Amino acid sequence: MSDRDKLMDFICRNFMVEEGEFLLDESLIDQGIIDSFGLLEISTFLKKELGVETAQEDMNRENFGSFEKILAYSSRKREAVYG
Amino acid sequence: MDRCSNCVLSTSFPGLELDENGVCNFCRDESIVTTEQKIIDESAVQVQQLIEGTKGKNEYDALVCYSGGKDSTYTLMAAVEKYGMKILSFTLDNGYISPKAFENINKVVETLGVDHFTFKPSKTVFNKMITTSATEPVYAKSSLRRISSGCNTCISIVNNLALKTALEKNIPFILAGFTLGQIPANSIIYRNNYPFFLDSRKRGLEILKTKAGNAVNNYLTISEELQKKTVEYPYVINLLCMESLTENQIIEAITPLGWERPGDVDGCSSNCRLNTFNNIIHQKKFGYSPYELELSHLIRKNQLTREEALEKLLDQPREIYESIGKELGYLDN
Ligand SMILES: [Zn+2]
Repeated sequence: MSDRDKLMDFICRNFMVEEGEFLLDESLIDQGIIDSFGLLEISTFLKKELGVETAQEDMNRENFGSFEKILAYSSRKREAVYG
Repeated sequence: MDRCSNCVLSTSFPGLELDENGVCNFCRDESIVTTEQKIIDESAVQVQQLIEGTKGKNEYDALVCYSGGKDSTYTLMAAVEKYGMKILSFTLDNGYISPKAFENINKVVETLGVDHFTFKPSKTVFNKMITTSATEPVYAKSSLRRISSGCNTCISIVNNLALKTALEKNIPFILAGFTLGQIPANSIIYRNNYPFFLDSRKRGLEILKTKAGNAVNNYLTISEELQKKTVEYPYVINLLCMESLTENQIIEAITPLGWERPGDVDGCSSNCRLNTFNNIIHQKKFGYSPYELELSHLIRKNQLTREEALEKLLDQPREIYESIGKELGYLDN
């Protein structure tokens, strides 16, 4: 499974939505899908499933402001670690 | 009612799947427990370092959100006796705290010798916020798996007051009494990105405001001036998450402080009567109790038996629901 599929699967299962039911380039918070604990749950998922450690100060709109942004953040972090 | 045969999750719980033995997917996923232990161990190290690094540098070392329930009583005691911190504690008087819980609060803060204040929001505004939470979609569906809408509103007021007080008084830590099962493991210790956090409240805040008016802002937001103090943002720490205690062990530990269980609350609370109202509304709306996730978590960790958990879930006195419902203007007199 690709990272994209894994993240999509996690969000759908964990936050009770279906693919296609929400916008990928808009905040999951603004769309009423997650709360601030939801962000922490996503960061646990990134660590556990994708091996990406989220720094506390990275939990902002630029990095976590949409499905696409979360995905881009995790691949950036990975490249930084594995070169 | 159909439930998992190992924990107490109902078949109506979101995402629940039972296998041929009637065991749910949450009970079958062992990775939940192992990941959690790793996070707990890492958090404990981080907490110890942070506390040691700031102790004695401010008027107070930490602010404790003290509801008078067993968990926050234990947290307050641990903060003073185990971590040796100078504490300011506060209680939100939502108008539905059991009188016995207030006796507990007084005895405990006196015995521990900590400073304490009580904040009582306007009853009219608070009641409107609670009835709105009962009828309107204030929170994300996924949030409601672990907490009722009404309790979420009340706790949001507590969190906001805690943040405001900590920023005003330069208190580096806010200690809350949450246990794992109530919150995700990586929220044992965290620091919110406030603008982002505020976004997560925006939708709900607007809904609450349409019914309860702009006064809601006083209880759920902080001034821009305080928001700018982000450099010194307080950490929120849930000390109890790092302990592995049964309910009886917690009660045994806090009894010497004079704490006694109130007799006029439901099986899932040890301080608040509004809890029963919020639970019954949630149960009616979604078909499961907002306490199932937490109690099931305790069962899996052997901190509670399934029978004890069921007893708590089913102990939701109808007379409390009715009297509170009338007081709120939700039910006809
Ligand atoms: Zn189960």
